[in-house]
Amino acid sequence: MAALPKRIIKETERLVSDPVPGITAIPSEDNLRYFEVTIDGPNHSPYADGVFNLELYLPDDYPMCAPKVRFLTKIYHPNIDKLGRICLDVLKDNWSPALQIRTILLSIQALLGAPNPDDPLANDVADDWKKDEKRAIEIAKEWTLKYATKKD
Amino acid sequence: MKVKILEWKSFATWHWDLATSADDSGYVEELCGICRVSFDGTCPNCKYPGDDCPIVLGSGCTHNFHLHCILKWLEQESSKGLCPMCRQIFTFKEPEQTSDVLINLKTLIDGHRVMRERFQQGNEQEFEAFGADQDLQMA
Repeated sequence: MAALPKRIIKETERLVSDPVPGITAIPSEDNLRYFEVTIDGPNHSPYADGVFNLELYLPDDYPMCAPKVRFLTKIYHPNIDKLGRICLDVLKDNWSPALQIRTILLSIQALLGAPNPDDPLANDVADDWKKDEKRAIEIAKEWTLKYATKKD
Repeated sequence: MKVKILEWKSFATWHWDLATSADDSGYVEELCGICRVSFDGTCPNCKYPGDDCPIVLGSGCTHNFHLHCILKWLEQESSKGLCPMCRQIFTFKEPEQTSDVLINLKTLIDGHRVMRERFQQGNEQEFEAFGADQDLQMA
């Protein structure tokens, strides 16, 4: 395998030494381009008190292309589908090499605080969200409790 | 006392003169925003810093990058020719002393821009042509 670019080493070091509050990203021992990520649900959102597991992979072209990120924990959110795929502009067309792992994970955390049913990935969830937002938020809370609660 | 010099070693340091690119507050970004290595270091594809891996100054914005880093980004279709930092169209500042490398680079970057503009114009023309067709059929 090709040597790990300096930028990835630097980013990893900083993620460990100066972590973002509410976010952890730990590189896998066998593949330093693969990270196990957790994101705390933002306060005052239906995901509050939940801890969500994600996986993040840095493709060979990184930072010329975006990291691949996916939710592993089930989540009820209009912009995240059944497979955990995330609809977020900076992960697709609006990627820039000035962005980093930490900024991307912060954007994902922000997306949890601001669901956008007008640009849906999970159509059924988005429809529910538009028809009856209160109910949708209740379901999101139930799912958070059921699937994303810390196991001590 | 007489000193006889038997051996001597000299050394020198250098750094890129980026003062021209400082913003109003006089702040100069020291790291390449793409590879996050200092400008005086090398981009990930080079072994030695220096003239083979010069710093490119943005002229529309105040952002600077290693030549190889920004070129690699602009070659990506997804870059849309934008500066990674501020998302304005990245234009390249004419250096005072133009080396062949930089002239080549300018040609490359300008080429990318022309191709993009041509592509966008092409799309608009097609769209207009389509509209005109419709009008004819309607008539």
